[in-house]
Parts: sequence; C-alpha cells; structure tokens
Amino acid sequence: MLEARNLTKTYDGADWPALDRLNLIVPAGEVFCLLGPNGAGKTTTVNLFLNFIQPTAGQALVCGIDAAVDPSAARALLAYIPEQVMLYGALTGLENLQYFTEISGAEAPRDTLLSLLAAAGLPSDAFQRPVRGYSKGMRQKVGVAIALARRVQALVLDEPTSGLDPLAANEFAALIERLRKDGMAVLMVTHDLFLAKQCGTKIGIMARGRLASVFGADDVDHLGLERAYLDLFARAA
Amino acid sequence: MSDLALAPLAVAAPAKSRWRVMRAVAAKEWLELFRDRRLVWLCAFVVALMLAALAFGYVESARILSEREAAARADRELWVGQSAKNPHAAAHFGQYAFKPLSPLALADPGVDAYVGSAVWLEAHKQNETQFKQARDGGVGARLGALSLAFILQTIAPLIVILMGFASFSGERESGTLKQLLSVGARPRDILAGKALALIGAIFALLAPAFIGAALALFFFVDRERLSLVDQFIRLGVLGAAYAAYLAGFAFLSLGVSALARNSRAALVTLLAFWLANSFLAPRLATDAARAFAPTPTWQEFRAGIAQDKAKTFGHDESHPGFVAFRDETLKKYGVTRIEDLPVNFRGLALRKDDESGYAIFDRHFGALQTAFDRQDALRAAPGFLFPLLALRPISMAFAGVDSRSQFDFASGAEAHRRDIQNEVSDNIIHFAHDNTYLAGPELWRKIAAFAYRAPGAGFALGYSLLPTAALVGWLAIAAVFALFAARRLRPV
Repeated sequence: MLEARNLTKTYDGADWPALDRLNLIVPAGEVFCLLGPNGAGKTTTVNLFLNFIQPTAGQALVCGIDAAVDPSAARALLAYIPEQVMLYGALTGLENLQYFTEISGAEAPRDTLLSLLAAAGLPSDAFQRPVRGYSKGMRQKVGVAIALARRVQALVLDEPTSGLDPLAANEFAALIERLRKDGMAVLMVTHDLFLAKQCGTKIGIMARGRLASVFGADDVDHLGLERAYLDLFARAA
Repeated sequence: MSDLALAPLAVAAPAKSRWRVMRAVAAKEWLELFRDRRLVWLCAFVVALMLAALAFGYVESARILSEREAAARADRELWVGQSAKNPHAAAHFGQYAFKPLSPLALADPGVDAYVGSAVWLEAHKQNETQFKQARDGGVGARLGALSLAFILQTIAPLIVILMGFASFSGERESGTLKQLLSVGARPRDILAGKALALIGAIFALLAPAFIGAALALFFFVDRERLSLVDQFIRLGVLGAAYAAYLAGFAFLSLGVSALARNSRAALVTLLAFWLANSFLAPRLATDAARAFAPTPTWQEFRAGIAQDKAKTFGHDESHPGFVAFRDETLKKYGVTRIEDLPVNFRGLALRKDDESGYAIFDRHFGALQTAFDRQDALRAAPGFLFPLLALRPISMAFAGVDSRSQFDFASGAEAHRRDIQNEVSDNIIHFAHDNTYLAGPELWRKIAAFAYRAPGAGFALGYSLLPTAALVGWLAIAAVFALFAARRLRPV
C-alpha cells in the first residue's frame, strides 16, 4: 500500500510548494492515476515516495514504512518505472534483469528470469542482445520484468507510456491491469487521459502542487474526465 | 503476453544479501569494463609499459651489477698488486668500496643514480660522495627514467582515476543511478561493490608487474650474498604499499564521483589532485623540508670537518697534540727517546690520529644523516593527504635504494676503511723499525676485500614507520571520504 500524509515539498528558493499537503492512499489491487499539467507536482510525488528528494513536511509511506526514515526498506517494497527506463547499454536485457534482481536482494534462477522477460513481452531474440540497441518500449518491458522479479507490493510509474507506439502502450496497459489483479498497489503519473481511464481504478488531477479532484474510474467517462482536466488546467494557468 | 502468475521468488537473508549486492555490483562493473575495449586496451598498454620498464630495469641492473663486480675485481687486483711499500703509503694508495646493487633496484632505482655507488677509501679521510644533494630531486627530475616504480606511482593512479571518475556521476547522468537506488540497494553496498571492482582492477594491473618482479628476483638474486626470502618479503611489502596507495585513489575517485555535479567536474577535480600529488606536492615538500631542516652545502660540510680535523695533528710533528701524545707514550713505556720504544712510534701516532678523525667523521656524518632523517620525516608527514610523499620513501626503503640504505652502505665502507687503517698502523707499530720499512703483497692480501651485506627487510621497516602510518592514514581517509560521499548520494 502507498500512502501520502500531508506530503509537502518546497524546493529551495521557490515561492510556493511544489507539493502541498498531499493526502492519498493506494491500497493493494488499485491503480491510482495522477493527472496534471507540467509543474503540478506529479513527479515530485514520485520522487518523494522513492526518497530521491526529502519532504519538507508530511510522510510518504510504502506499506507503512516512511520512505524518508528508511529509504532502502521502502524502496525494497516498491518498483519504479520511469518514462525512460535507464539500463546498462553494454549489458543484455537478461543481464540487466539479473543485475537489478540481485542488487535488490532477490534471488531468481536464470530460467525464471527468462520467463519474466517473456512475461513482460520482450521478444525472445532480444534477451541476449545489448540493451543499447533496444527501443523505448523494449526497455519498459525490461523494467516491468525487474518489478516482477522482485515481487514487490507497490509500483510507481512516471509517464510510462510516453513516446510508446499505440500497440506498445496498449500492451503496457494490459500488463498493468494484470499486476493490479495480482494485488499490486500502483501509482501512475501520466499525461495520458485515455491510459488513466483505461488502467486506473482511481484518477486524481493535480494542479499547483495540490490534489484538486479525485474520481473513481467508473464514475467518470472519457469526456467528463477530459472536461474536468481542462477546467482545472485553465484555472491553474 | 505470457502469464504473470509465477512462483514467489526466494529472498536472500540480509547479511548474505549485502554480500550478493557487492558481488553483483563488482561483477557488473567488471563486465562493463571488459566490454569497454578502450579501457581494456589502456590497461593492456599500461601492463605492457610496466613489463617493459621491468625488463629494462632487469637489463640495466644486470649491466650495472656486472660493471660494479668487474670494477671491484679490477680494484682488488690493483690493491693486491701493489709493489712493496710502506703500509701507510698503501693506505694513501686507497681503494674503492662498491655498493652491491639491491636486486629490487630493477623496479625502483631510488637515489642510487644520484648519490653514486662507490666510496673512495683512503687514509685520514671519510669521503662523502654518497651524500650528494641530488637525492632531493623531485619526481620531475626522474621523468627520464621510466622505472616500474615511476609507472606505479604516477601513471597507475591516473588509470584508476580514469576507471573510477564516472562510477557514480556517469550513472547519475545516464539515469541508471536512479534505477539502481529505486530497487532498494543501499548506497554503501553499491560503493563497496564499486570499490571491490576498482580494487580488483588494481590487483589485475599490479599482478603482472608483481609476478614479473618476483621472477626477475628469482633469477637475479645472488643467493650466496642475499636471502631470497628477504627479497620476497620486501617485494610483498612493496606490493601491499602500492596496493594501499592505489586503493586510496579508488576510494577517492568513488567519493568525488558521488559528490560531483557531473562526470566532467569529477574528472577535473581528480586530475587536479593527481597533478598535485604527482608533481606539486613532492616539489613543495622537498623545498619545505630543506627550509625547516636545512643541510649544509658540500663546501660547508667539508669545511666543518676540516676545521675539526685541524685540531688533530695528522703528519705535523710540531703540532701540540703530537708533542703531547709523544710525551705521554714515552712516559708510558718508561723511556726518554722514541728510538728506545719497543714499538714503532710513527705507527702509534698514525693510529692515534686516525682514532681522533673517526670521532670527527662520526659526528659530522651522523649530524648530516640526522638532518636528512628530519627532512625525510618532514617530506613524509603530509603523505596522508598526498600519498606519493608516503609511498616513495617506503618504496625506496624496501627496494634498498634510499638514503638510509646508502648511509648503511657508507657506514660499512667506512668501517672497512678503518679496518684497513688499523691493519696498516698495527703492521707499522709491530714490524717497522725505521722509516725505510716496506710491507709486501702478503699484507695487501691479508686485508680482506670489501664485502658489504645489506641489512634485511626489518631494517627498512624500522625507519619506515612514519611513511607507513601516513600511507595507512591516506587509505583510511580516502575510505571514510568515500563512505561519507555515499551517504550523501542523490540520484537527481
């Protein structure tokens, strides 16, 4: 479970907080999609859950562990897939997966890792090729395989389908849905309203560091979501 | 898409997990290093350079050894081939004492090239050619001599820096650091893994040189004169010292890389330190040591001895000291004339004058060596910050080519000179009945050839405590700095 309690971040020299008293809960088996324009505080939220930055106030909890107090323990329970999954170009997809699995403290035999790459949708002929030749979508799939290998309880995604072709984006959405059904808590930051509607169980819209609105995915249609988003966007501007 | 419902994965226990993390990071670093052909070629080039320097050192050492042995044989032949003459004239004829070449000079030539290797032994005078000021020459003065020590002291740290400067900053720039930390790996475990990889690379760099030096020693060491075990102990200490020196650079590179804004800043910072350590610090430390512990110039040193020697009588029979000694001797033997003495008075006077000289030489040369020791200590003290200042004296000491080894050789040569003086004076005392007395080849042969045995590794250890402490300090400070930097490691 992911939980933000009055989570606040003000960067040095900034006039207002990038994130202002954010409160949200993402229980197991839920996909919470955060929408919002650039500068709304979405990526700041992700960075706080990963403790890449320190909160000014409040807490980011991963399964009850405060990420600021014990970042390694919190990170061990959560997987992170950014817009561009950064891997080691000289290593193959399988070697990258093996490496990230090992350093996370997990153990998995080679056959399992191969199965995970396949499960994440990476073509088998790419397993042993250096990652430097991978497309963005292929890298995302290795990122998912890493999350699967680690058997984490929560997943944080930052613009995961940005730049993916429609087929790859659709495959990715299906993958997220399967993870959700598997009981994973997913926090996804995206600009993509359709992806949010497709994957999310809850959808939040952020503006100027605040969580302005929260909808149940079943409570709003595409058009209503777009209208609410544009309305908030216009007000924020 | 395949089914995701996979069997739960076993999770390693924490202690085991930490070791696995370190091992995994080290293995990944090695794999990347190996696949980056540029670094592989660079390392191969440095290894080739080291082996070439070692081979050159071996050939050069063999040549020098052969020349010294030939010169020592020729000098001995000259000595024993002297015609019949007064023994004191033979003492003035003199002979050379050649310093046997330390086998490890093939790796580190030290000060040998600057202080000379032969001492001229003659009556009344302890020669000091072994104390030339060239011993204080900075590393720049040695650029012309591409020894294994020079490569390890100057070029190897540069290779370590090139391997390590982007360890963290490069990962931060490429985004992999964010990915790495996001999986829960602890920065200190990542640091340990990267350090393990870098130190492993250092051992891989050192191993060929170490094995090459061991083989060279095996074939080079004259086992009748030197202990092979002692030479291998020395080599082991040298290996450990160089490993500590380079491991410190590994930690420094990792620490700077973790703190720097980007790889370029890390590289510039590390190169600036490398320049300061390799070239600036030795020069400044030498100048500071000279300023705080000055040594006399050759002229001043010689003038000081001459001043004290003037108080002794030498060959001056009108000197008050000579007159007093004559009167004292006559009184001791209960006679009134020199001609009535049962022994040769001239021999007694020579021995007395020599003994007076010994005390003067011991005082002046001892003071000079004390000053050099103070300079050495001042130079080595900042070694915990600029480790070349600590490593170089250790390297020279255990290679047997430092000023202390030179002093020990000079002391041995002086002891031999005194043996010669005592022998010829005794011969005159007991066998010369008048000034026409001549000794023959049997006396020249009776005086043994100079046979210096260099002290063991314990001798070098005894006076290397300060630089050793400085080197250990350097390693500890670099490791603590790297840990500190790892604690502050941020992915963005």
